[in-house]
Amino acid sequence: MYTLNEQQIDFILHDIKTRGVDIESLQLNLLDHICCIVESELQEDGNFDQFYQQLIPKFFRKDLKEIEDETILLLTFKNYYAMKKAMIITGITSVTLFIIGSLFKIMLWPGAGPLLVFGIGSLSLVFLPLMFVLKAKDSSSKNERLLSGVGALIGFLICLAALFSVMHWPHALTLWIVAICIATFVFIPIYFYNGMRNPDTRLNTLVTTILILGATGLLFIMVNIRPAKKQLEIKMYTHIQSEDLLRKMQQHAKQYDPLASDIDTTAERIKSLIIEGMIGKPFIPKDFEAQKLLGEEENLGPAFFKEGAEGAILFSHLKETVAKYNSTLTLNEGNKIPIDHFQEDKIGFYNNYVVLNYVVQLQMYLATDENKMTASK
Amino acid sequence: MHNILMYICVMYSSELIKGTLKTIILKLLSETKRMYGYEITQRVKELTGDKIQITEGALYPTLHGLEEHGAVTTEVVNIGKRVRKYYTLTSKGKKEASEKVDEFAEFIGTMQFLLNIKTQVK
Repeated sequence: MYTLNEQQIDFILHDIKTRGVDIESLQLNLLDHICCIVESELQEDGNFDQFYQQLIPKFFRKDLKEIEDETILLLTFKNYYAMKKAMIITGITSVTLFIIGSLFKIMLWPGAGPLLVFGIGSLSLVFLPLMFVLKAKDSSSKNERLLSGVGALIGFLICLAALFSVMHWPHALTLWIVAICIATFVFIPIYFYNGMRNPDTRLNTLVTTILILGATGLLFIMVNIRPAKKQLEIKMYTHIQSEDLLRKMQQHAKQYDPLASDIDTTAERIKSLIIEGMIGKPFIPKDFEAQKLLGEEENLGPAFFKEGAEGAILFSHLKETVAKYNSTLTLNEGNKIPIDHFQEDKIGFYNNYVVLNYVVQLQMYLATDENKMTASK
Repeated sequence: MHNILMYICVMYSSELIKGTLKTIILKLLSETKRMYGYEITQRVKELTGDKIQITEGALYPTLHGLEEHGAVTTEVVNIGKRVRKYYTLTSKGKKEASEKVDEFAEFIGTMQFLLNIKTQVK
């Protein structure tokens, strides 16, 4: 019986590694196996090098790495079916949830949000990545794999963009634009190049490319739908008129008490912050058309949405002071300033023009109350 | 999809015994407390009188597959500078071993009937 020394064991292990076996447990299995054969079959005074060189080719057809390839294949083959099953289940579940969620959303029934988030979330985060992995496994060329990868990424971004739009979360527009750009500048050129190289698929590729370009263009237009310029101008005029009316109402009140004055100042600061975000100035000038200033209608930005941001702090202060003001009112209930329906945790969902209108109305209530107080004194 | 045709089979064609490797390994492990790779190949060789020889190229992928599947657990023992991995059946593996053997026995019965093979009486 031959006894292997440490150098020989190191040599065998090194050789196994050099021949491309990377899985450590497989390296150790093969090392022990080879050592067992050498020790049991080689004579005590036998030539190790010669024996080893004759033995090792018996382990494979082409190279030793095929044992590792076979192991990986066997392990992933099992996963292949599990993944396929998971893909089908998540696909059906997410589409069902998405359809039911959309119905709930249209009918304004409660629970639409969670249904849509879960449906679109599982579609983009589970179904699409699984589809890509399985598709990549079946693809023979690198280009096909790249194409399915980019396709899955675009699908993922479109799903998220749709979800962000429906849920009125910020950055939905950025997601739409990124998805459309990747589709136009990466996916379509690769798809076109791949298909046009093969004479059999040339016509089909051309037609499909036109269809994809058309669909991407339509998506781009839909994403960028904005209210007409005239509509925005009307909204701006309405705000200017409301402000004028407010000033007139405020003239009658002799002097605001400190609490009312605090509310009014906070309201003014909120308006300035919103208008600054819209047109870059703290108020809407009367000649805004001549100055070519147009405030886009959109949800309040991160200045209001984020916790601790200036807008959010001002709103919270406004609510507090109005509540305090309401409690000090000696007049009847009808004079109280309505504030409860305006929820701070939903500030991000409020539209800028709606909030401006709301704040001006709040100031009007205040002016009316203060007028009555002045009159009663 | 996968290609375990790496038996070295002295007597039978590889197509004939394709798919039985898992059954062989599970059955051997069910009869012994624990075994290591080389030991399994030697045991098969000995039991079949050299008619079936399992190659490393078929054995280790299957053992890794069984480990991943939870049919076997491993125990590593240091032997000087190298380590030896012993394989032991789990309860899941024991169940699978008996199912595989039963399935194969039924298959043999069906084949006997289908091919009208008369059992040789010695």
